[in-house]
Amino acid sequence: MEKYKQKNRHVYWNPYFGGFLLGLLIIFTFYMTGRGLGASGALKSGVVTVVHTIAPEHAENNLYYSKFIKEGESPMNNWLVFEALGVLLGAFLSGAFNNRLGFRVQHSPNITSRRRLIFALSGGVLFGIGAQIARGCTSGAALSGMAVLSTGGFITMLSIFGTGYLVSYFFRKNWI
Amino acid sequence: MSKSYKLKKVIVKTEYKFLAIILVLLAAGLVLLPKYEKHEGINPEILLGNAVSSERYISTDELAEKIINQDPSFLLIDVRDEESYAKYSIPNSINIPLAKLLEEDSESYLNQDEFDVVLYSNDNFYANQAWLLCNRLEFKNIRVLNGGVNAWYSTIINPTKPTENQAVVDFDLYTFRKAASMYFGVSYLDQVTSPTKKKTPKKVVTVKKKKKKVAEGGC
Amino acid sequence: MGPLIPNGIIPEDWNYIIAIFIGFAFGYILEASGFSSSRKLAGVFYGYDFAVLKVFFTSAVVAVIGLYYMDYLNWVDISRLYVHPTYLWAAILGGMVMGVGFLAGGFCPGTSLCAVAIGKVDGIVFTIGLVIGIFIFSESFSALEPLFERSNLGHITLVDSFNLSPYLIVLVFTIIAVVAFYFSDWVRTKVKKVFY
Repeated sequence: MEKYKQKNRHVYWNPYFGGFLLGLLIIFTFYMTGRGLGASGALKSGVVTVVHTIAPEHAENNLYYSKFIKEGESPMNNWLVFEALGVLLGAFLSGAFNNRLGFRVQHSPNITSRRRLIFALSGGVLFGIGAQIARGCTSGAALSGMAVLSTGGFITMLSIFGTGYLVSYFFRKNWI
Repeated sequence: MSKSYKLKKVIVKTEYKFLAIILVLLAAGLVLLPKYEKHEGINPEILLGNAVSSERYISTDELAEKIINQDPSFLLIDVRDEESYAKYSIPNSINIPLAKLLEEDSESYLNQDEFDVVLYSNDNFYANQAWLLCNRLEFKNIRVLNGGVNAWYSTIINPTKPTENQAVVDFDLYTFRKAASMYFGVSYLDQVTSPTKKKTPKKVVTVKKKKKKVAEGGC
Repeated sequence: MGPLIPNGIIPEDWNYIIAIFIGFAFGYILEASGFSSSRKLAGVFYGYDFAVLKVFFTSAVVAVIGLYYMDYLNWVDISRLYVHPTYLWAAILGGMVMGVGFLAGGFCPGTSLCAVAIGKVDGIVFTIGLVIGIFIFSESFSALEPLFERSNLGHITLVDSFNLSPYLIVLVFTIIAVVAFYFSDWVRTKVKKVFY
């Protein structure tokens, strides 16, 4: 038993406990600010800011960027950006307490690191496109949407996990 | 697997069952709790206190003085219907018929803290009803013109001349009222002023809507 | 009473400071529950680790019950809370694309931020991919715009869609969640153990 614990650094909280705390956090967020959590919006603000700094006219002409560019105010002046900063700090602290810090690639023993990284990149690209189409990712749309019983949140959540189950067969070599 | 480990697994299972039952009970409790109408608005005691105080009336003399001095801090609202408003109304008043009192647009005139609102109707009746509604919705600075248009007419436009054995104060009041009536366009035969009717300058009312902050959101 | 900042009880300037604290707690909880590990996240699709399902459903059920109790006690005005708008086809299509991305990359934006914070290289690569994906989408926006804007059903909730009392929906949701928990534990005993 002892050797098992030593080898396995990944001793995490009980998922029900984590879920309970997360539920309390969502209630607190709604009570304080009237809105839910979110993640992909912060990255979108980052992209808009970078494009706007490098090529302002292109950003203003493009239909999508111009929605988020307001006169005299940087698009980074957004609630989600500050929340994302907090997420980075919080996760760093938790990793530091539990000895989980360190640069490494986590992959199934059946595949190489390189293959894992290629899949991570393409997965990221797909997820980025999808999150913009659906105006939300799992934290923002699905989690906070479910907390107020929003139909869009439920549809997005069911669509993500439904498709995930359907294509899981093709990716099984990567994980198991 | 050792015996203690197996025992721990069983105990954990019962704990989970317990937690699951608590969760379902909480959700069921939401369904079964009696639903009551949420009490929105002002406390009944405060409403009563406001209703019996005489502060809420404003007399026709005060109102006339305010209009003549072009006091910018008040807003006159006529709560009669549109035909009566078109036939005669106190100058510089806007018309919000009682039926439309609770609409979105009227709320921007009633629910603001820049101007004092003075409600009037033919007599006190409709104005008092409007006052009661506004007060219940916790609008501030609402008052009623005491006597309404009838009193306006009988005191300002057509003041009664006091008889000779009344106090000096009454005479001063009468003089004031007569001057006011001339300001409002009544011409007297013994004091022929310019033949053109002097129009009271129309006050432009710009009301700032008290915006309700909408929660933003998105991902 | 109600959402505090939109009601003006707390001044607007505190909004961003509170955002940092909330994000801090969010990141801490996610990382401590193990969501910075992509193999743990993908476990829900293969049956060897159902942490995603448990955390998701537990937090949603706790949040919904909590909010509706607070609404009953008049501490929060539920009608003032932000409801995610429903764009029917955009949600379905975007969800499908996201599902494939989830399986390929093994992360979602929130958890990828956690992975970046503790130094996982695949998390960093995933975040770079997210940025590239957003960039690609914005550049080709003119072609995708009709899909993006069409079929906007507004900020509707399940209460409007199904025409049931919200408390009944909460109860059904709770029961489904509890059944899903038992089901996931049963599946876990049947699936080959994977060590990660």
